[in-house]
Amino acid sequence: MSFLDVTLKLLSGFQDTLLLFFFTLLLALPLGLVFTFGTMSKWKPLSFVTRGFVYIIRGTPLLLQLMVVVYIPGIVFNSPLVRWPIFAGNTNAAYFAGALFAFVINYACYFSEIYRGGIESISQGQYEAGQVLGMTKSQIFFRIVLLQVIKRIMAPVANETITLVKDTALAATVNVYEIYFMSREILNSEFIIWPLFYSGAFYLIFNAGLTWLFRHIEKKLSYFRS
Amino acid sequence: MKKFLLAALALVMMLTCFTACGGQSDLAYVEDNGKLTIGITIYSPMNYYDDNGDLIGFDTEFAKAVCAKLGVEPDFKVIDWKNKETELKAKNIDAIWNGLTVTEERRENMDFSTSYLINKQCIVIKKEDAEKYTSTESLKDALLTAEAESAGETAIKADKNLKNATYNPSDSQQNAFVALLAGNVDAIVVDYTMAKSTCGSGDYKDFVMIEGIELTQEEYAIGFRVGSDMTAKVNKIIEELVADGTLKKIAEKYDLTDLYEEALGK
Repeated sequence: MSFLDVTLKLLSGFQDTLLLFFFTLLLALPLGLVFTFGTMSKWKPLSFVTRGFVYIIRGTPLLLQLMVVVYIPGIVFNSPLVRWPIFAGNTNAAYFAGALFAFVINYACYFSEIYRGGIESISQGQYEAGQVLGMTKSQIFFRIVLLQVIKRIMAPVANETITLVKDTALAATVNVYEIYFMSREILNSEFIIWPLFYSGAFYLIFNAGLTWLFRHIEKKLSYFRS
Repeated sequence: MKKFLLAALALVMMLTCFTACGGQSDLAYVEDNGKLTIGITIYSPMNYYDDNGDLIGFDTEFAKAVCAKLGVEPDFKVIDWKNKETELKAKNIDAIWNGLTVTEERRENMDFSTSYLINKQCIVIKKEDAEKYTSTESLKDALLTAEAESAGETAIKADKNLKNATYNPSDSQQNAFVALLAGNVDAIVVDYTMAKSTCGSGDYKDFVMIEGIELTQEEYAIGFRVGSDMTAKVNKIIEELVADGTLKKIAEKYDLTDLYEEALGK
């Protein structure tokens, strides 16, 4: 296999890596906020249930969660994931959707705790000031608190995002043919090992872009000093 | 967003599917689907890619021949070998067909078809060690690896010399080869079929098998779900393929005639 062949094959895998990454981020970022509202809710049963859920997800390996999503439907409910009518026989889509589901839930839980930290760091005085001005609770949150929170949580969110890029390799265990899977496949069929290490370059280059992007965003938000 | 909606919808469908999915024979289930989903790994000479990127190999062609007689399409699915029992139980795949060794422990999780190939365990070392390691006796102080829970591991534990060596199980046979390449181990115990097609190619060009060592011998078969009526049906088809010489031809093509004849052909 020539360098070009290997690069093309790895790129085809990297496409799945990127898809998994973007969709996870797109869905987990807002879902995390929903979880935050749950854990911070004044209504005890809701906050209890959400906190329990976050505890379970953060307390177990993502690798295990992936296997639960992909195997439990068939084993416990006799309704194998790959046969769900929605996937119309496209098993690749089924495995991808299963992995995506696990990633979104997992990352949303981590994001929710980052959000909670950010929200709780806003001083009580600002809420009181909002109330004095006659603003409603949601007005206070969206007009005063949220933007400050976004600035404060930027660094930890960037951290999680970069971790996510690398975590996508875990999806290989549930048959998502992302770049790590592809490099293993080359090793198993061509018996050449360098593509395994070469695949690291793809992650590095992509993360360089992300690092730059987050730095740029932080700079943009820096006028907003508190 | 689309994929998320898909997943949500799928959840609802899963709940409605409970009643529809029970109580059917496995054979009818496969026929209804119109395809037999076969769990494989990329494992030469069983299932691997040719230069055009097409899947070939002994098991690939064997499965195609069986599926043609069954009247369904073979659907090869590359899986993580460690998860094969779970994939089968979850019905994500219908058969494990990739140089699967028959073992007593595995019978708890699957039914085996007729054995179609003999497999032996063999010891692979680096060419430069060929004079140093000539017998299991010479390996008794060596560093060894084999795939965890594999026939190779059983062979190591059963041999009076090898069991004294330092043994660390690997994730897969493929990883055992990498460990040898890295020099983390002195020798590996792997399937003869795999060693035969692997030694001498790519980064493994300096790997050799130690000749003349007889370790345990076992058989390859296809794994189906426990209690599945697929097993009997496929066994009948295998008989036909043996009788008309189809299987022998495939074995010749992949240089496996000796192993085939020991198992099935006379």
